Amino acid sequence: MRRGAGAEAAAAGGRAPAPAPAPALAPALALSDPGPGPEERIAARRRRIAARLDAKRREALGEDAEPKVAEEEEEQRRSHKQIEESRQRLAKLLFDGTQMVTNIQVAADLRETQRRAEEAELKLQRVEKLENEAKSSTSKFEEITSKWALAKEMTIPQELWQLLNQQQQQCALLLEEKNKLIGDLQQELKNKDEQYVQAIKKQSDDIHLLLERMEEQIRITLKTYRHKLLQIEKAFELERRELLDNNRKKWEKAIQAHNTQELEYLHARMRKVEEFEKQLNQLRVEDEEEYNSMKIQLENDVQNLERQLQQMKAIYQLNQEKLDYNLQVLKKQDEENTIIRSQQKRKLNRLHSLLNNLRTKLAKQEKQFGEENQSLAADCERITGQCEEVQRRMRHFAVSDAEKFTEVWLMNEEEAKGLMRKALDADRIIHTQQLGLPWEEPRYWFLNNVGPLGHYKAKRMATKLAAEVLRESSSEGQEEEGREKKEEVGSGEGGKENTVKVEDRVTPLQNISKKTAKRILELVSEESGFLIESKLLRPLHVLGRHERTLMKLDSIFAALEIDSEDDLYQLVDFFLKYKAQEVAVSQSQGSPGGEDVTDLAEDREDGGSSAQRDELKSPRSSLGSLPSVYIHADDILKILKAFVRDFDKLREKDGSAKEVLQVRDSSKDGEYWEALAHVIPEPTLKLWDALAVALEEYYEVLTRRASLLAEAAVLQQQNSELCLLLEEYVSSGVNSKLLSPPTRWMDLKLPCAGEAR
Amino acid sequence: MQQPAAGDKSTAVPSLYPCQASLAADLYYTHRIIEDPEWSLATVPHLTELCLQHIVHNFEKNPILDRLLPQHQRKVLDRLSTGLPLAVTANLISDEDYWKRCCTERWQVCDISNYGDSWKRMFFERHLENILKCFIPNSTDPNQVLELIPLCKDYVRKLEVDQFLPPVQVDQKEERDDLSDTGSDFGFGTVSMHHYDLGVLITALPHLEELDLTYGVKDCGMNFEWNLFNFTHQDCCNLAVAVKMCHNLKVFKLTRSKVDDDKTRLLVRHLLDHPCLVELNLSHNLIRDKGAQAVGKLINRSRLETLDLCNNQIHHLGAQALAQALAENSTLTSLNLRLNCVEDKGGEAIGRALLTNTTLKSIHLGSNNLCEPTATLFSQVLTQNTTLANINFSCNHLGLDGGKQLLDGLADNKALTEFDLRLAEVGQETEYLIHQVVWANREAARLGSLQHPPAKPL
Repeated sequence: MRRGAGAEAAAAGGRAPAPAPAPALAPALALSDPGPGPEERIAARRRRIAARLDAKRREALGEDAEPKVAEEEEEQRRSHKQIEESRQRLAKLLFDGTQMVTNIQVAADLRETQRRAEEAELKLQRVEKLENEAKSSTSKFEEITSKWALAKEMTIPQELWQLLNQQQQQCALLLEEKNKLIGDLQQELKNKDEQYVQAIKKQSDDIHLLLERMEEQIRITLKTYRHKLLQIEKAFELERRELLDNNRKKWEKAIQAHNTQELEYLHARMRKVEEFEKQLNQLRVEDEEEYNSMKIQLENDVQNLERQLQQMKAIYQLNQEKLDYNLQVLKKQDEENTIIRSQQKRKLNRLHSLLNNLRTKLAKQEKQFGEENQSLAADCERITGQCEEVQRRMRHFAVSDAEKFTEVWLMNEEEAKGLMRKALDADRIIHTQQLGLPWEEPRYWFLNNVGPLGHYKAKRMATKLAAEVLRESSSEGQEEEGREKKEEVGSGEGGKENTVKVEDRVTPLQNISKKTAKRILELVSEESGFLIESKLLRPLHVLGRHERTLMKLDSIFAALEIDSEDDLYQLVDFFLKYKAQEVAVSQSQGSPGGEDVTDLAEDREDGGSSAQRDELKSPRSSLGSLPSVYIHADDILKILKAFVRDFDKLREKDGSAKEVLQVRDSSKDGEYWEALAHVIPEPTLKLWDALAVALEEYYEVLTRRASLLAEAAVLQQQNSELCLLLEEYVSSGVNSKLLSPPTRWMDLKLPCAGEAR
Repeated sequence: MQQPAAGDKSTAVPSLYPCQASLAADLYYTHRIIEDPEWSLATVPHLTELCLQHIVHNFEKNPILDRLLPQHQRKVLDRLSTGLPLAVTANLISDEDYWKRCCTERWQVCDISNYGDSWKRMFFERHLENILKCFIPNSTDPNQVLELIPLCKDYVRKLEVDQFLPPVQVDQKEERDDLSDTGSDFGFGTVSMHHYDLGVLITALPHLEELDLTYGVKDCGMNFEWNLFNFTHQDCCNLAVAVKMCHNLKVFKLTRSKVDDDKTRLLVRHLLDHPCLVELNLSHNLIRDKGAQAVGKLINRSRLETLDLCNNQIHHLGAQALAQALAENSTLTSLNLRLNCVEDKGGEAIGRALLTNTTLKSIHLGSNNLCEPTATLFSQVLTQNTTLANINFSCNHLGLDGGKQLLDGLADNKALTEFDLRLAEVGQETEYLIHQVVWANREAARLGSLQHPPAKPL
């Protein structure tokens, strides 16, 4: 079928509008048919469909191609028709066969249905029969059983026997009927069995028949199939042969056409070959010339290049040598560098270790120095302590030195004065005894001086001063005068100024009248009893009033740290100032008093003043001090507080000044001592010198005379002695023994020895 | 002599060493061949040959197959004994030739087309069937079946068991009860008459698609007893549960097994909404109207396409139930009610259903005591229905008039391709005419199928 379709398709392809590929297509199809690859088959089918569509279109378009197509179709349909015919026949055959086979089943079915129908009928009949039988038998049985009851009523034996007989007969009848039924049923069963056997036989027959039919059917179908197959194959072969013939013819035609074309091509080719050969020759000649010229040129080039190459080689050699040399140098350097590097490394290591050592050392030293520092700090403390000690000692020594100085001064002065006195005495003696001149004792200022020049009065202790003040207050007037006088007496030309200075210092206390001072001190001692230690207070009661105040003041000053004279003066001064401020407005008299004090100081500077003036002033000052009496006891504390506050400041100010004041002025000392040394004036000395010379001469004469006297005495003595000795020697026995006794010689020498002596 | 050896050498590429050795041996022995007339290469088989032989001999202990080269595998398979235990071969060998040998050695008739053209499948299915056929409950070891499950579960798709043996004890009872009638025996044996429970086996076969069972004994001969053919209620229960668990099952056949209404209903209850079941065959049973009603319910609650209820006792009530289901149904294509007692009432009901149904293609109503009224209705069906292609009215009493009416109805019909009216009392002429019409229809259908399928791509 498919193959037929393929053939048809091939034919359709032949009919296709493009006639050229047709001859090639047909053999391809023919070839593809025996080995039908799926793709080829698909392709074939597509072609077929296309052909069919084409045919339809053509049919629709016009009937031009119709007769031809019909003709060809008729021709092509031969195989097709064959197939169709055989197919129909085979289908019929198959149908008939199956019909024949199934007929048996149908027949069996029919028989079965019939049997079933019969069976059902028979069953019904049987059931009816059985039911009827059952009914009749039950009625009969009831009849019999009813008669049993009748039999019980029977009394007559014959009747009973008759009845029993009847009963027996009826029972037998019943049984017979049943048996008959059973027999019937058994007969039926037997029949059924027979029927069953028959049915089985029938079935086996049927099956045999079925098998036979089937086999026959198979045989027939096989046969017809084979036959039909052969026929179809024949048809196909025929068709194929025709197709092959057609195609071969076409093929041959095409081959011939192809051959002629080939020949033409060959000729054309020959011609072209000749042409090309000619062209080739020409080209060859041209190229040869070109080649030669090129060759010459190139050879020249080669020579040039070789020359250049040589040059280059030379340069290369040179460069190589240079580079070699450089390389060597660099290698050397490299080696050196490596050596240096190793050295440096070693050095580095060494330095590293050194550094570490130094670090450790540094740490150690730091530690050490820290310790040292500590010890030094301790030393420093110690030394400052020592320094303080030394200062203290120095102060002490200064004091002792001062004392010693005064002592030495006094001693020296005494000695000097002694010497001076001696000199004066000698002068006096010289004048009076040697010269016989009257001697007058010279009067010099320094003769009366005792103690070091400009030496300040040792500061009296505050308490002493206070005691003095207290003491003096009673005999105030006279003592002051006396002191003034004493000073006046003591003061000479140059010493005046010194005394003035001393006076200056004392003035504040001095011009404050002793009375007021005393008054103030007494007030202080009484009011500030709280400053005194209680231990001291008790024994004070025993003492007198004066002494008691003194003791009290002593302890108060100790508490207020008032040591020196100045401090006391300041205290008193402070009291007065404070009072003055307070009473300044109310007391007009107080201010002239103050002015007087300054006046007084000026007056003192003027030098030695009259005692009268002083005397005049003192009562005034006592007048000025009158208001101080009125210092209220309550104010004392306030004043003291203020004083203590200010006092510290004052002290600090003083501190530096005090030491400066201690340094003595020794400029006048030289003068003093010079003056002492030159107590004998120059003309006197000249006189002395001349006298001394004269006396020397006199003395020399005298000494010469004395020595000569002594010499004469000695010579006399020696003479006597020598006389004695000589006598001795001469008298001795030895002299006699000698050949020549020395006595001969001795007489000569002895006078020589005496002479020399 | 040397030529085959050379050929062997060229083929035995992979075993390079023995090949070279043999080559060297060849060269070495060439001197002697002339001197030694008894020399033969055949006496020294190749090492590969020896190895393969060894493998074949020891295949049971050491099965080596997958690691061999294809040509060696071929050799080994050709030489393997068919008597090897299945435990070795079942999952290892898939070669069809080997299983073909197994099958042909064991069975004379082997129709491979029934087994999906697979010899292996055929072997395992028939092997399993044989075991099941010979299985006697309570005396045969159930492990015999269970051991086989892992071996054959991948290959068994169909089970066709036409014999189930009852337990052996019955035989003894039979002897004792020989004197008594068969009726009492029937009641006596029910308790212990259960057959093998297929549940374990069927649920363990994942690919099972077809199940064809017959609860009965074959070739009993003179030992016939009614109780040999007793499909008990318990059996039915077991079977129904097992079939329900078997989700891939497509075809289920339970024939000649005395399936009555109750059992049908039990089965149908378990088969309702089955996902795959396509064909149901309950032919040659004792199904009456109730069973038919149940089946009718099943038709619309499943995917059934083929239903065979031939040779049962379905009367018009059952047929009406089926007809009702058929009217609504759109899956069923084939219905067989041969050898029932549907009669005209049922036939008319079915005919009416077919007026609306558009899926059914084949219907068999042979031997059903149908008469003219059915034929009249079916002539109407023939004019309206365009899907029905096959009708079988054989062995009915349609009568001449009925035949003519059918012919009339067939006049415009183009779908019907087969119409069996044999022994239907319709007259030869009518039958011939109808045959002509049907033949023409068939031709037309053939041409149509020729026209269309080639248009479709392969």
